[in-house]
Amino acid sequence: MEFIEIVIKSIIIGALVGFGVGAGAARMFHAPKVQGMGAFRTLGELNACAGDAASHFSFGLGFFFNAWASAVGAGAFTQDVDHRIIPNWAAAVLMRKGKRPEDTLHNPKKMAIAGAIIGVLVVTFLNSTASAIPESLQAIAIKVLVPAANLLINPIMPVIFWLAALDAGKRAGLWGTIFGGAAHLIMGNAVPGIVLGILIGKGVDDSGWSKVTKTLLITVILLFVLSAFFRGFDINMMRGFNLEAPSWLIDLHKMIGFEVK
Amino acid sequence: MTNQQETMNEELYNKNFWYADWSFPIFVALLSAGIFAGTHMYFQYHIGAFNDVAIVAMLEAGIQGAGYGAAAAFGASFLFARILEGSLVGILDIGGSLQTGIGIGVPALLLGAGITAPVESFALSLITGGLLGIIIGYVIIGIRKFTVGQSNSTFGADIMMGAGNASGRFLGPLIVISAASASIPIGVGSIIGAAIFYAWKKPVAGGAILGAMLLGAFFPISLD
Repeated sequence: MEFIEIVIKSIIIGALVGFGVGAGAARMFHAPKVQGMGAFRTLGELNACAGDAASHFSFGLGFFFNAWASAVGAGAFTQDVDHRIIPNWAAAVLMRKGKRPEDTLHNPKKMAIAGAIIGVLVVTFLNSTASAIPESLQAIAIKVLVPAANLLINPIMPVIFWLAALDAGKRAGLWGTIFGGAAHLIMGNAVPGIVLGILIGKGVDDSGWSKVTKTLLITVILLFVLSAFFRGFDINMMRGFNLEAPSWLIDLHKMIGFEVK
Repeated sequence: MTNQQETMNEELYNKNFWYADWSFPIFVALLSAGIFAGTHMYFQYHIGAFNDVAIVAMLEAGIQGAGYGAAAAFGASFLFARILEGSLVGILDIGGSLQTGIGIGVPALLLGAGITAPVESFALSLITGGLLGIIIGYVIIGIRKFTVGQSNSTFGADIMMGAGNASGRFLGPLIVISAASASIPIGVGSIIGAAIFYAWKKPVAGGAILGAMLLGAFFPISLD
């Protein structure tokens, strides 16, 4: 019963995802006039296959095996199902018999329909084979995976992003350091802060203190202030510096429903 | 970006459903409904999340009780950055915005706040994903209207992409280390799997997991 449920849900999910990915990928070829979605690397790879159906198919196939291993092992499809497998296989289906990419790969309507069909097949296959794996085996995968992922989340990713920010120039490094450190204090992980720091630093590098970058900086500061408040960081900080938290602030926390001890 | 732009007239881009700005939110909505429902599948059956092992593992850490903070902050900040970038460059990166932002960040935010219904129910997951997609689509089209031509910065997206890829590379060795700390047979399995995958020029992480599972099937460890 559960198996049938999984298959039905997979068909719906595959059709939705495939339709969106197909249309988005075809629209990328008309960017920036038309808003596309996918990724720059997807666009590059689709171009690299040069409209040859066999190249598109084998490129997708290489990633398909990897996605399969990951789906069976950890229940994770990898991002390549959306980035590589669906767009390339949809292109391969449309371009069989040597049709031109301009009439197939660049046409959102054709790509959306082909993508939906490929999406149904790929998602259903991955989910039904992955669900056939006994639960005890998946449990082992998780037991191995979770500690590894925890190490990755902290401290490895913060360090890599931080070093990338420091290497990206003075502004990105400075803002990355300030917001990264603050993010670790407030949210418990530095990565989001560093990402926002790079965003601001590089934005100012490229276009100066324009309206866009100023709005960005204010939004980011607001984001930090709000999440600090809702996590009770403001009161913890005062206490950390051996200061008495004013009672109106504690009352304010209580009023909004986020009580602090 | 193609020579087609010259031959195709402006009319087509503005009026035709498949190319128009106003239809963009619909495509985003469909895709993000599917991706959000994929996270529902993961929550319910432990299969079918549309993301890389390293990122799904952040959500898993939350489900196992280690807190959703990391997944939520990571996903939400990626969503934020990609929406900005996507509207400025004309290509929305679905990996960061939808697969990580909508598929991992938003569910982590909801679950962290104790709201489980949108992730637990298949129908609700489709609706939630679709609504979020429409909002994102309109925000992007809106930002485009105001900013296109004003800014040609990519806001350091290449740097973040590079750092993201570099941290993904760490996962393979980390899984082997973690497997080797779990038990000797599982460790041996993951070493062999990682070595074989490396020789085949496949990502080491996949081989390490499969190898660990294979030997774990014969030499189980207690899972409490």
